Amino acid sequence: MSVAIPSIHHETVERYPPGDLAVWIFILAELLVFALFFTAYAFARMQDVALFNEFQQYLDRRSAFINTLALITGSYFVVRAVAAIRDDDRRACVRWLLASLVMGVLFLVVKSVEYAHHYEQGVTMSTNTFYMFYLSLTFFHFMHVIMGMVILAAVAWKAQQGRYSAQQHTGVESGASYWHMVDLVWLILFPLVYVMH
Amino acid sequence: MEKRIVFGLRVCTWVWLLMLLLTTLTYAIGERGLSGLAISLGVLGIALLKGHLVGAWFMGLNQVRGLWRWPVTLWLLIPGGLIGTAFILAS
Repeated sequence: MSVAIPSIHHETVERYPPGDLAVWIFILAELLVFALFFTAYAFARMQDVALFNEFQQYLDRRSAFINTLALITGSYFVVRAVAAIRDDDRRACVRWLLASLVMGVLFLVVKSVEYAHHYEQGVTMSTNTFYMFYLSLTFFHFMHVIMGMVILAAVAWKAQQGRYSAQQHTGVESGASYWHMVDLVWLILFPLVYVMH
Repeated sequence: MEKRIVFGLRVCTWVWLLMLLLTTLTYAIGERGLSGLAISLGVLGIALLKGHLVGAWFMGLNQVRGLWRWPVTLWLLIPGGLIGTAFILAS
């Protein structure tokens, strides 16, 4: 997997990204789906700008802001977890992964409260085109956060069992890459759906 | 990458702090109700920059040579370009 090539700057340059290549293929497929979703949103908005601008104002931007901070911070914690296992510090790796999971839980709680608020107001995917995109996009992403958390929890459990080391930690890198993908998608979703008008 | 120290902090920590700052800027723009094509494209640009930071520094793609260095960048640029185009056409 990791074929190191010495660069002219004497840093290690890899031929493949960190983690399992199969996971990266999966990540790229997921990114492609989200790219289509985002593009569809932008072009659907063209058909009725006034409607999208009006209903965007009813979204809870503060919750989305908190969730963005949570995902970015969770991603940072995962970077630290990978750094820890590369140093053969398994306990630190587990701690950083658990901290990242806390950020994931925070995201799910905040987003669930937001959904509950919409539910109380009677908002559904049938309400209008804006809500159809908003609910489907954010819920699709919500499911990916849950998936990412399951992966991180499994990686943390295996790290706790001592099944990763400085020499063998592809699983940690793969889980980290997936979690970064979840963060990456939200970084576009947040401004597109909540801010740009 | 993760262990390189700049001004007393790891590079990844600086990247994290920068992304928090850029996110706060985006939120402030939304809260102030700023709108219009230039603002939207600026906010989109900030998002693409943050995405690039995640790809390069968190996913570690700045340490990768060749084809695998570019998928995330392309993922940002192609939909980003299409979103920008849609907003321009809608304005």
